[in-house]
Amino acid sequence: MDELTFDLLVVAASILAGTIGSLIGLGGGVIITPVLVLGFGVDIRYAMGAALTSVIATSSGAAAAYLRDGISNMRLGLFLCVATTLGAVGGAMLAVVLNQAVLSVIFGAALLITVALSVRKNPKTDPAGDPSDPLAERLRLPGTMPDGDGRKPYAVHRVVPGFLMMGVAGILSGLLGIGSGAFKVVAMDQIMRIPFKVTTATSNFMIGVTAAASVGIYLKRGYLDPALVAPVALGVLAGAFLGARLLPVAPVKTLRMIFLTLVTLIAVQMVLRGFGINWG
Amino acid sequence: MKDSQIQNTLARLMVGGTLLAAAIMLAGLVWYLATHPGLRPGDHVFTGEPKYFENPVSMVRRALDWKEIGHRRSLVMIGVVLLLINPVLRVGFAAMGFAAQRDRLYTAVSLVVLAVLLFSFFW
Repeated sequence: MDELTFDLLVVAASILAGTIGSLIGLGGGVIITPVLVLGFGVDIRYAMGAALTSVIATSSGAAAAYLRDGISNMRLGLFLCVATTLGAVGGAMLAVVLNQAVLSVIFGAALLITVALSVRKNPKTDPAGDPSDPLAERLRLPGTMPDGDGRKPYAVHRVVPGFLMMGVAGILSGLLGIGSGAFKVVAMDQIMRIPFKVTTATSNFMIGVTAAASVGIYLKRGYLDPALVAPVALGVLAGAFLGARLLPVAPVKTLRMIFLTLVTLIAVQMVLRGFGINWG
Repeated sequence: MKDSQIQNTLARLMVGGTLLAAAIMLAGLVWYLATHPGLRPGDHVFTGEPKYFENPVSMVRRALDWKEIGHRRSLVMIGVVLLLINPVLRVGFAAMGFAAQRDRLYTAVSLVVLAVLLFSFFW
């Protein structure tokens, strides 16, 4: 296979991964890495570098729209970014000392958890409207979100556990080269009980910043091959755009079922690959 | 400066920066493939990347080096750098916005995040 064919196939696969990712609500990164590793035989470290760069590209578009609509909570996002960026730098440094097989197993496991988290129904958040924790108040984390014509205030709880969970999300992001949006959402909506819309919007803002913290370390270790990053980032970006357009008309429920099953199989295969078993 | 102004400027920076980076990467990729037919892809085996990939500054310096202008990788590299520095600019701008509001706490929070990012890129 010459490079032109290889690149065109990579672009096609990235567009598909980006589209699927945005249709079923997983980031492109967590899908494209196994595709590159299992489908194209790319070294997992190059795959992670390319995936993480594409995560920065795609998260920016969605995050910008949410920011403009006043749904994201900037202060909350930046405060929690302290945890995710520190975690990401730590995770990226850890990734450097682990071997490919171990990374492959951890990647598969994290992918399985991500699928489990995204299958779970969106929980009702804070219907009673009990007041925010004193620490959240002191940090001015509670905000308001658009509601009809006006804005509705919401509360923020359990700041310290949420912050720690964000640290874990950051570590996973740096360790595996993923956006770890699913883990960020857990921290904000399950632990801190922030409304789901605000959670999704703020998580998108944070993903790019977190990913950048890991990419710095990846660069130094030579994980970023521009010849691979360019087709992957362009493809995933185009796919995410396409997915957002398809979202209103696509049979999302059916697609979710099909693709989540597929992603589960891919996750299992990543784990098996780590143990030296290859099938398919 | 109001919160909504900070948010709108950040949104513009994110969309504009990403589109610019994508356009440059696309141009670089097309040029690269058009001028170098028949190359074999080299991503199956991990070999690391050359020293000038160390950080965004060294990448840009390399890409703008007169001997390297026209090098197949230089445009792609500039596109990648633009993509990577977008979150850094985002946080830096947020810090400036909060400073203009005299919001000391969040100026400090933004600067801590900025410091972690700069550490990651340049340590």
